[in-house]
Amino acid sequence: MKEILLIFVPALTLVPTAVAAAFAMRKISSTALEGMTRQPQIAQQLFTGMLVSMALVEALVIYCLVVALMLAGKV
Amino acid sequence: MDATSARYLPYIVVVNFALVSALLIALAKFTTARPLTELPGERQNAAELVLEWFVGQAKRIHPASVTIIAPFLATFFLLILFSNLLGILPVPVLRIPPTSYFSVPLALAVVAVLGVIAIKAKIDGAWSTVKHSFWPNPLQLVADASHMLSLSLRLYGNIGGEYLVGVLAARAAPYGIPLVIDTLGLVPAAVQPLVFTLLTADFLATAGLGGERAAAPGEASGAAKEPRSSTAVTEVQ
Repeated sequence: MKEILLIFVPALTLVPTAVAAAFAMRKISSTALEGMTRQPQIAQQLFTGMLVSMALVEALVIYCLVVALMLAGKV
Repeated sequence: MDATSARYLPYIVVVNFALVSALLIALAKFTTARPLTELPGERQNAAELVLEWFVGQAKRIHPASVTIIAPFLATFFLLILFSNLLGILPVPVLRIPPTSYFSVPLALAVVAVLGVIAIKAKIDGAWSTVKHSFWPNPLQLVADASHMLSLSLRLYGNIGGEYLVGVLAARAAPYGIPLVIDTLGLVPAAVQPLVFTLLTADFLATAGLGGERAAAPGEASGAAKEPRSSTAVTEVQ
């Protein structure tokens, strides 16, 4: 039972986080691109803000990836 | 990666990182070999093109300390960028990017966070820095620790993951596919140094240099006067 759990738990740790992060990134990028289109004069600032926001979202997925890899290492 | 490379990986990483550093020093010497002129030549123009962005970021953070902040940020950006770009070289051992080995991103993150503290101490004095860390509560120390963790894990996760995918793809299909993977790898290789630098700049901006908070990178100048907690980034992470 433990072995089966250790196979599935890493995937179950990572997949929902990745899906949630993908939705968050979709929202960030679409909003930023919309802002850039409406106000091209602040496109540079929006682009940098978008990158930082995406990095923060991405960090969560990477934390889960690390946890998943640690769990996978125990299989 | 074959068994020999895996065995000597730490040494290979150290050598590759030293090579990148030497390359950057040589590049800096090359671009600044001639005396600076008002009408820049090709080399000076290229160097100014790179440095201008960092000077702009440093001006936003603390206009009086551009000569301290801009080189600090530029060093991280160029070092990480060139380290990542090693991964696309078609040379067996040399193509292991130092940033795909966790110790290197961790060391870079530690230097970034300690550098932010050192810059604050240089600009505002040691007492102000200690006060910033411990007053009204010592949560700033937790924020610093989490900055180290998030910066290092992000860089390692992206570049290490990309490198691992490349190695696995090369094992599965040695011809054609690695070229596609390497081409796709150019995106994180170029974006991650930018993210690392921007977040370090954000940590500097929220450190309250000169006694007040500056505009964070990418923030509109009108929002610069709005107060924001120095642990805001940490809370989000």
